[in-house]
Amino acid sequence: MLKKFSEAVAKNEYYKLWFKDAWPYITGAVLLSIFQIVTMAVSGNPWGVSTAFANWGAWILQALGVSVEKWYFFSSEGALAVLDRGLLQDPASMRNIGVIFGALFSVLIASGFKIKKIKTKKQVVAAILGGTLMGYGARIAFGCNIGAFFSGISVLSLSGWVFAIFIFLGAIVGSKLLVKYFM
Amino acid sequence: MKEVTLDCLGEACPVPLVKAQKALEDLAIGDVLIVSIDHSCAMKNVPEWAREAGHNVEIEEVDDGEWEVVIEKAK
Repeated sequence: MLKKFSEAVAKNEYYKLWFKDAWPYITGAVLLSIFQIVTMAVSGNPWGVSTAFANWGAWILQALGVSVEKWYFFSSEGALAVLDRGLLQDPASMRNIGVIFGALFSVLIASGFKIKKIKTKKQVVAAILGGTLMGYGARIAFGCNIGAFFSGISVLSLSGWVFAIFIFLGAIVGSKLLVKYFM
Repeated sequence: MKEVTLDCLGEACPVPLVKAQKALEDLAIGDVLIVSIDHSCAMKNVPEWAREAGHNVEIEEVDDGEWEVVIEKAK
C-alpha cells in the first residue's frame, strides 16, 4: 500500500515539477526578490546571512566566559543590542536556521539526501581554508554575497555594484587556482 | 566504442564539470563517458554543458542523491 503510494507520487508530474527537479534559475530569482522585499518590510533590514554567523560565534564565546563586547566589531550600539537580545530575538539568525531546515526539507522530499564521504585530504584543506577566507572577507567587507551584493544592489547602493565587480574578478582568479591546484 | 567512468562522488561544483570536460576531450566520437555525481548542482551544469556542446545525454538516478550522467560524444 505504502509502496504503491510512493511509486505513484514518484511518477506524478507535479511532484517532479515542484519537488524533484531543480527549479529554473528565473523562478529562483523571482522568489529571492520577493523574499528580499518581505525581509525588508518585516524586519526593517535587508537580507543578510554571514553577520548572524559572527553573532553565533560571539554567543558561543560569551557562553564560554569570553567577553566580546569590547571587540571593535561588536562594540557599536547596534551590534551590542543584537547580542543582548539573543538568538531567538534575532531575525537574521532565525532566517538562517529556516534556510538550513528548508534546505533539508527540500532534499528529503526530493529523496536526494546523502551523507557524502570526504574523498581526499585536499578537500579538507580547501574547505577550511576557503571557509576561513570567506568568513574573514565577508566581515571586513561588511557583508557576503547576500548582504553586500544582493541586498546592496536591491537597495540601489553603489557598494553593491563595486562588490559585484570584484567578486566577479575574484571568481575568475579563484577558478583558475582551483583548476591549477585542485584538479 | 569505449566506455569510461568518471568518479566525481563527494566532489562539489565546479570540479565535476571541469573534470567531465577534460575527460571528454580524450574520447573519440561514439565513446561514452559516465560521470558519477552526488552534488545536485553538478546535476544541472554537467548535463547542461554536454547538451549545449551537442552530445547525447541521459541521466540515471542511481540512489538517493546519487546520479550517473551518461554522455555519448557526438562530435
